[in-house]
Amino acid sequence: MMNRNHNMNQINRRDLLRRGTLGIGSLALSSLLQKELSASDTAQKGRVLHHAAKAKNVIFLHMVGGPSQMDTFDPKPALDKWDGRALPVEVTRGQKFAFVTPQSRVIKSPYGFKPRGQSGIVMSELFPHLANVADELTVVRSMRTNEINHGSGELFMHTGHGRMGRPSFGAWTTYGLGTENENLPAYVVLKDGPPVAGPSVYSSGFLSSRYQGVEFRSGKQPILYLDRPEKTSPQERRDVMAAIKRLNHNAFDHYQDPEIATRIAQYELAYRMQTSVPDLVDFSSEPQHILEQYGVNSRSANASAFARNCLLARRMVEKGVRFVQIFARGWDHHAGIYTALPKSIAAVDQACAGLIQDLKQRGMLDETLVIWGGEFGRTPMVQEHNAGTGAKTAPGRDHHKECFSIWMAGGGVKGGFTYGKTDEFGFGVVENEVHVHDFHATCLHLLGIDHERLTHRHQGRDYRLTDVHGHVVHDIIS
Amino acid sequence: MIGPSPAVVARINHIPKRKRGLTAGARASRTRRVVICAALLTLTNVAFPQTSAEYDFNRDIRPILSGKCFKCHGPDAAAREADLRLDHRENAVDFGAIVPGEPDESSLIERVSSGDPDTRMPPAGDRLSAEQIAKLKAWIEGGAKYEKHWSYQRPTPPVRPVVRDESWPTSEIDFFILNRIARAGFTPLTQAEPAVLLRRLYLDVIGLPPSVDEVNAFEADPSRKNYEAHVDRLLKSKHFGEKWAAGWLDLARYADSNGYQHDDLRTMWPYRDWVIQALNDDMPFDQFTIEQLAGDLLPDPSPSQLVATGFHRNVPTNFSGGSKVPEVRANILHDRVATTGTVWLGMTLECCQCHDHKFDSVSQREYYQFYAYFNQAIPEVSQKGVGMFRKLFVGREVDVHASEADRQRAEELRDSIAATERQLEDSRQGAALVSTEKKSASKADGSEVFADFEGVNPLAGQSTTHKAKVTAVGDTPADGGKFAIKAVVDASASAAGHYGIGFNLPIRDQSEAAEIRFWIKTDIEGSFNLQIHSDTKDVNVFRFSIAESELRTWKQVVAPVASFSVPPWARRKADWSRVNMVRITAFGNGPYAGRYVMLDQLASLKSYDPAMARSMKLAKRVKQLKTELDAITTSTMVMQDAEMSQATHLMIRGDYTTPGDRVDVGVPGALHPLDASLPRNRLGLAKWLVADENPLTSRVTVNRIWAEVFGRGIVTTLDDFGRQGAAPSHPQLLDWLAVRFVEDGWSVKKLIKTIVMTSTYQQTSAAPATLIQRDPENKLYARGPRFRLPAELVRDNLLAVSGLLSDKVGGDMVYPVQPDGLWKEISGPLDVSNYPTSVGEDRYRRGIYTVWRRGNPYPSMINFDAPDRSTCTVQRDRSNTPSQALTLLNDPVYVEMATAFARLMESWSGSDRVKVVRAFRRALARHPNDDDVDTLLELYHDHQSWFAVAQVLMNLDEAISKP
Repeated sequence: MMNRNHNMNQINRRDLLRRGTLGIGSLALSSLLQKELSASDTAQKGRVLHHAAKAKNVIFLHMVGGPSQMDTFDPKPALDKWDGRALPVEVTRGQKFAFVTPQSRVIKSPYGFKPRGQSGIVMSELFPHLANVADELTVVRSMRTNEINHGSGELFMHTGHGRMGRPSFGAWTTYGLGTENENLPAYVVLKDGPPVAGPSVYSSGFLSSRYQGVEFRSGKQPILYLDRPEKTSPQERRDVMAAIKRLNHNAFDHYQDPEIATRIAQYELAYRMQTSVPDLVDFSSEPQHILEQYGVNSRSANASAFARNCLLARRMVEKGVRFVQIFARGWDHHAGIYTALPKSIAAVDQACAGLIQDLKQRGMLDETLVIWGGEFGRTPMVQEHNAGTGAKTAPGRDHHKECFSIWMAGGGVKGGFTYGKTDEFGFGVVENEVHVHDFHATCLHLLGIDHERLTHRHQGRDYRLTDVHGHVVHDIIS
Repeated sequence: MIGPSPAVVARINHIPKRKRGLTAGARASRTRRVVICAALLTLTNVAFPQTSAEYDFNRDIRPILSGKCFKCHGPDAAAREADLRLDHRENAVDFGAIVPGEPDESSLIERVSSGDPDTRMPPAGDRLSAEQIAKLKAWIEGGAKYEKHWSYQRPTPPVRPVVRDESWPTSEIDFFILNRIARAGFTPLTQAEPAVLLRRLYLDVIGLPPSVDEVNAFEADPSRKNYEAHVDRLLKSKHFGEKWAAGWLDLARYADSNGYQHDDLRTMWPYRDWVIQALNDDMPFDQFTIEQLAGDLLPDPSPSQLVATGFHRNVPTNFSGGSKVPEVRANILHDRVATTGTVWLGMTLECCQCHDHKFDSVSQREYYQFYAYFNQAIPEVSQKGVGMFRKLFVGREVDVHASEADRQRAEELRDSIAATERQLEDSRQGAALVSTEKKSASKADGSEVFADFEGVNPLAGQSTTHKAKVTAVGDTPADGGKFAIKAVVDASASAAGHYGIGFNLPIRDQSEAAEIRFWIKTDIEGSFNLQIHSDTKDVNVFRFSIAESELRTWKQVVAPVASFSVPPWARRKADWSRVNMVRITAFGNGPYAGRYVMLDQLASLKSYDPAMARSMKLAKRVKQLKTELDAITTSTMVMQDAEMSQATHLMIRGDYTTPGDRVDVGVPGALHPLDASLPRNRLGLAKWLVADENPLTSRVTVNRIWAEVFGRGIVTTLDDFGRQGAAPSHPQLLDWLAVRFVEDGWSVKKLIKTIVMTSTYQQTSAAPATLIQRDPENKLYARGPRFRLPAELVRDNLLAVSGLLSDKVGGDMVYPVQPDGLWKEISGPLDVSNYPTSVGEDRYRRGIYTVWRRGNPYPSMINFDAPDRSTCTVQRDRSNTPSQALTLLNDPVYVEMATAFARLMESWSGSDRVKVVRAFRRALARHPNDDDVDTLLELYHDHQSWFAVAQVLMNLDEAISKP
């Protein structure tokens, strides 16, 4: 029979359990539990890792497909005169392209550019809302990556490596900094259009699966398996949870295995999440002007979905979620620079601006790093045929890795600042290159993390997000 | 008592600073004292007491040097600073970094203990601790002896250690374990209660729980003999392979899809079934190795030996539109090298892609010598042209059948198809004769020529999709009249997309056509379409290709109407009664500038030609036979080497576009030499891996199996036996197991039996809190192994408990219920988006058969730490998360199991109490205590719901843990 002699809290266990129904019933157990959690978890609330952090949270808005730099944030008037001609061979020699050829003709940007805000950041006319927060942005025009395909490009942008299997930026961040809210996941993924490489893009790789991005889905059930079965009443669920806890306690008394104590705590957290998560996604407490600021009720389905995700991201950050990753669909403009790109931008412009304004008015922008960008840029050359069928298409641009533009806001970056320079064609970086590794190093730096010191030993090697590369770009830090 | 007493610490602090000039004797005695005391200092918690007075280089010194110094003063020549190597004694001594016997003269000590940050080593990162410096000093004082890294030396059969309590051990292993437990001041625990022991055994050997009847019977006779009988029976179970395959499939990064963008499904399940079968057959591990790495190179390989080589065809493959074939191939081969190194050698070779290894003795050149073995493979991925959207697998495939009956039927079918095709060819010859003879006569013969390019305006009706020069030329096929048409593509044409030459015809009724045929001559190799349009987007196409050998010669293409299909880009199929354009298109094989296409004698044949009618009948028959054959045949990817040896070049900085020196096949020089008589291909490599002299393969393998049973390896870094890896906690036991494994003919089953027969394994896992606090990770194995089951077994075990489990072994992957729409969310318009949820027993198959889609894996399995199989995974995480709770509570799959379990309870006879006890024992095997029963009864009575009781039992920590 079971030996109950080492039961530390035998006497009042039953009463405690009954009375608290779901609260941690015993001090001994809860202290044991805390020990277990802290021993197994590098993450603790308010943890300072390597230096004082400027940013506490990240909201990363990824435009899936790769926005065109010369039609958004990197004006190239010289393309007007190159329009219809091939680029000089010295520019294209030795370069990889996905579908176009080095001889493909150049297409100018059909859009006008204007300086915006006090700072005069120049951006495309397609961003009327973002123009209102220009003074909060650092635009980086000199981004560079190694990959020209969506899957590997996304992996590179998020894991620093073009193949599957490495932990993502969000996973490294939560591995380093942990969570600020035990009732919610530390790293959340929201998407209206998925990354093509799937969950590998927000995977924990070889880190513990605790650091994996947890996907919140649109619709009634934001987290998989959150809702209790239809046939189970709330009372039955409560009693089932209490019985599970009690039998687990009995088992703990017997085995003394701390994993059982952790299991008890995780069931309690799961139970709390059944309330906290639906509360989080319920916008009924948000005033109308906030909903309007983001464009939540936009008539465009894409704009509304993205706006909801941005508002949800703010609510999450407010509740202590460390890292919110948002994916927005429809930025792979092989065709339709004239037709499709304006729609893609219109679907995000208002919500991006709304998010920044909302964070600012709540005093949260200083501690929240907002990032907007894609996995790569696009070619100055035109693509006019569908790569699969060969059918003629509306003019578009192909994948391009040599340069692309992103912007960042809040979280310790300068406001109203433009960094880096590309050549007259928008083909390559000529000044202040920010490679993806540098971008990661800089973001981690803002979070108080030295990218060279946040490592994990795996298969005999100390891995880090920036591999063996990466320099912090101090110039963009305020 | 473990750990140093305060008095010991104090004495250490008072050791006087050593000076030169001591006599040898004095130095020696002092050294010993320093060493003993310093050794005690390292004891924390339950570190193992050291009895040796000397530092062990491999255990104590190498980790310090490797961790702090080798990065710049180690094997990597390119990164080496100051021309100093600390991994080579001779070099270190010559340099003066180490002066044996004279720590104070050794610049190593001076530099690591320097107070000046400018001269102190290491220049970055944490400095050495006082304890580490003390170790180095003591080691230098003792002569600074180097030893070959422990894992590079062959395991030797160790002497059985002495133990005081000889009654406890029941096997050789127990002596090693008990000796260590006793030295730490503990005693092992007693045997687990029979029900718990039996459940543990079942879960470990077959991954399924025992029935209540089996538990009862064992409780009645828990003798060692009866236990052994269970062990033997379970090892023979067909479910053994299903349980043990999962870990191997993690290593083999087996999955049912390609990964990356598109993430198409692939047929690799025959490989998965091969692994299950090989384990069930207890195929010796050396043979298991050889067949998977080189089955194709064995003399006259069987289909099964070919399927085994799927091991290395499992690599994820990036088929996105813009990826380049050489890049994809290089990534595949790098993965094969890394996986082979990890699985068999416990070595990380990946870092040598770009530079010499920083810690282990593997150079970049040696890496590419290893790579060269895999670079002999034939091309496996092809891009048929610059603009084509997706790549194809073109490597070797082998046909497989689900059963022997299917295999025989397939053989008959193949014979019939060949015979019918011969008849068809004869019949076509006849038809062709008729049509050409009478082609200029009336249309009653069944042939109608659309275009023969004769007459007044041979070029009438042609148009091209790209700018091209079109002329009538005198080069014609036999019976082609005077002229053919030739289109030469303009130099300005873009390379992308397609090139076409079309003929716009007055609307013609082709509804009775049986065949379209024409002659073509071109210098474009690869894919072509013959398109029949009735409107711009109403199209049927017939695909054909021009082989290299057919370039620049006339070829007749025969396109049976039955073989046309509707292309994905068409709006609908063509209306053959009003054909207004025929187009012949080269696609995906550009650039086309300057290339030509010549055409002649474009004609259709009608079906009322008697010879034609016969052909059609035969063609239909062939199609039927092929359909039947396809239904019982599947093909899976296997390895094949090219006949000619392929040159391999070192890649500078690991980049395939910057080749360096040429290298030949070879193995790392730090390990045993390659037997010259072995073939210089993968077969030779596989034999080298399982050679008697290999110090690693057997150790790495037994360690992994040990870890699967005990939850941690004797070497905790299962994937790294190199210098950065952990030292073995029980080095002698590891060697004993490794030697025994080989002596037992590499039998995995014997090894598992040896392990589960030990007293160590059979201990109870219910331990006093003090023991758990002092040895939380069970490093000493002073209690039974207790930990959460892996993802597949969480499912399998609860399916068995619920009574729903299907015991069908093997076959195609299955699609158990998952939340709606998950595959739609990830995919683009060209990707697989339909998740064909299984019906019938396939809903309740073991987890190992669940479709494994890399980019979109089965979510509940991921919640329990199953990997996405994108890379070789040696050890899964064992997390404990709220998503696991939500899965077991709310996932419809587990709700269905609980419902079925509740129905079982309902159906049982007896009182509610009897039912509760039986249900508890069905789920957990052991007897419940009174409080457990009361709690469940109360729940049942409050809600009148067996479902609630089932949910509780299936959500217990114990229900998803090995007890």
